[in-house]
Amino acid sequence: MKKAALFVTLALGLSALGSAYAADPAFPKVDAGKKVTLEVWSWVPGLDKTVAAFTKAYPNISVKVVNLGGGPNTYTKLQTALKAGSGAPDVAQIEYGFLPAFADTGGLQDLSKYGANDYKKYFVPWTWGQVSPEGSAVYAIPQDTGPFAMVYREDILKKYGVAVPKTWAQYAQAASVVNKKSAGKVKLGNFYSTFAPWFMALAWADGAQFFKRDGDGWVQTLNNPSAKKVLNYWYGMIKKGDVSTINAFSADYWNAAGAGTVASNFEAAWGPGGYAGSMKDKSAGLWRAAPLPQWTASSTIKSGNWGGSSNVVTTQSKNPKEATLFALWLNLSSSAISANWVNGGLFPASDAGLDLPVLHEKTKNPSKFFGGQDISAVYTQASKGVNVNFQWAPWFPFANDNFNKQIDLMIKGKLTPDQALDAWQAETLADAKKEGYTVR
Amino acid sequence: MLAFIAFFVAPVGYAVYLSLFIKKRSGFGPAKDVFGGLANYVRAFQDTDFLQSLAHILVFGVIQIPVMLIIATALALVLDAAKGSASRFFRTAFYLPYTVPSVIAGLLWGYLYSKNLSPFNQITGLKTDFLSSQVVLFSIGNIVTWTWTGYNMITLYAALQNVPTDIYEAARIDGATGGQLTRYVKLPLLRPTLILTGIFSIIGTMQIFSEPFVLRPLGYVPDNITPNTYLYLTVARDGNFGYGAALAVLLALFTLLLSGFFLRYAADGGDT
Repeated sequence: MKKAALFVTLALGLSALGSAYAADPAFPKVDAGKKVTLEVWSWVPGLDKTVAAFTKAYPNISVKVVNLGGGPNTYTKLQTALKAGSGAPDVAQIEYGFLPAFADTGGLQDLSKYGANDYKKYFVPWTWGQVSPEGSAVYAIPQDTGPFAMVYREDILKKYGVAVPKTWAQYAQAASVVNKKSAGKVKLGNFYSTFAPWFMALAWADGAQFFKRDGDGWVQTLNNPSAKKVLNYWYGMIKKGDVSTINAFSADYWNAAGAGTVASNFEAAWGPGGYAGSMKDKSAGLWRAAPLPQWTASSTIKSGNWGGSSNVVTTQSKNPKEATLFALWLNLSSSAISANWVNGGLFPASDAGLDLPVLHEKTKNPSKFFGGQDISAVYTQASKGVNVNFQWAPWFPFANDNFNKQIDLMIKGKLTPDQALDAWQAETLADAKKEGYTVR
Repeated sequence: MLAFIAFFVAPVGYAVYLSLFIKKRSGFGPAKDVFGGLANYVRAFQDTDFLQSLAHILVFGVIQIPVMLIIATALALVLDAAKGSASRFFRTAFYLPYTVPSVIAGLLWGYLYSKNLSPFNQITGLKTDFLSSQVVLFSIGNIVTWTWTGYNMITLYAALQNVPTDIYEAARIDGATGGQLTRYVKLPLLRPTLILTGIFSIIGTMQIFSEPFVLRPLGYVPDNITPNTYLYLTVARDGNFGYGAALAVLLALFTLLLSGFFLRYAADGGDT
């Protein structure tokens, strides 16, 4: 009895030590005598608490956190400050898809000058490709990721006698069953018609490549075969009425998901936190997570990524060395990763971070909302199945909005899925050329 | 004078200056701003998206401004005829929407417009999608009308209050009925105020931005639904400050032109 208890204590102590060591690499040395203030723009809730731990470790570096709330407004402000040549922070948070557009302004430091490449090995492999597309210059330090998995209402699937689909064929079959049995009231899934990155993540899982650097220019293939396959698949279900097309993050959506008229969806790793927050009193404990359905049944899960962000250091920073240190510490130290997860629901880009016990706590949200399932285990598996070679282009923000236009026409029946993707490709290409890019 | 230079001449001058630069790239890396002469202006006149945005706003103005001013005039006349506390209550009630900031108004209406939650749809049992790209312009028109009718009404009402009562007395002695009084006395007297509110409405219409912008995340709202959203996206999303500045200059000229035409037309109308 005693022995067992001792063994448990020992094991716990060891595992705690083990994870702490695994997650914390040696950070770059900075001049300890130099007093420095860093300004950080971020939308992570509770970042100030994380920062308190940093200033404890580095008393000479004080950090001022400005929370701009995220989304387009943050980018506008940063874009303007970079253009104006003053007023930009030392460190800022940018999503992967929007990173090339900012790298393009010339306002971002190449962090390889400050030894960032030495830390490549600590990050989930595909995230490094996002911040260092050519493999030399490093435009940012990966922060969080959004690997894709399926979330679903266990109670509703049971009610309609549908098993958790493992392949897309099974998913379509299940969608049709749920629609018929519920007389059209309940949809198994939902297509987010105004979120290009959501769609792209589904195609990404199938190996789609939308943008690629090529010599001194770019290749853009928004109408690639995987994209066509995925969009045609969804269009089929939309036309039959088997899935709905409610907008992401809208009151309509939360209402439908909470009321059980949408029974499953594909969400990034940061999504479950939103579910737990937005549907507090509705459907708590009824949700579960499962791996993304696959095109062919197989034991290895291929996934894509939606969202996720990185930390850049601007060229306006007077202390780029310290700023780089902060960005590395914020995303590699176990205390910061834990705090970012607990306060902001950031699913780490750090490889070791994926195993941190706090991610897998079943009694806390979002796992608690998901019936006590260790959903991070599902997302960790997804993270390992994300294709490494995916790239974004600087004109992605335009492509992002143009997608909505084409999908709107497709849903109205004015374009077929193939035509919609071809139009997306053609219009985006024309605009990129007008903006002076060498692209084909 | 200094303030005029600092806050008016300088920004306009800077915008014109900026509009002469185009983005130039060679391979990867940051774009350089190089002098492009009138290239941005040439691009604007070939940019179907921009021209479409002007068409949108013209259609919008031609429908929304008359509707709004007719309602505002009718309300002002009714309030002017009615006296007492009821009149005061309605005056405040109609004016209230104007005190709601347009961003808040957009959010509020965004909820009222959402397909499955909209009270209209729940009462009528219909499934109207007010945010569908075909009707979103009208939905925005509704928000703008809701916001500004009361404001214009107050202006018109104030003008009616300033009319010396002896004019009405004279009309009544001549045997004018209430309807005739409105038609032949009040409306002509309101004419200058209507022209003023008309001009303000034209300028306001050209500047419509926050309503469509707030509705954007709720559904598909085209980039170029109004010239201002298009201009904003050119700068904030695509980072093309030069082209954005050119669009801004063109937009200002266009507004000036429209206001000029309206004034001319309104003045000519007065002669006949």
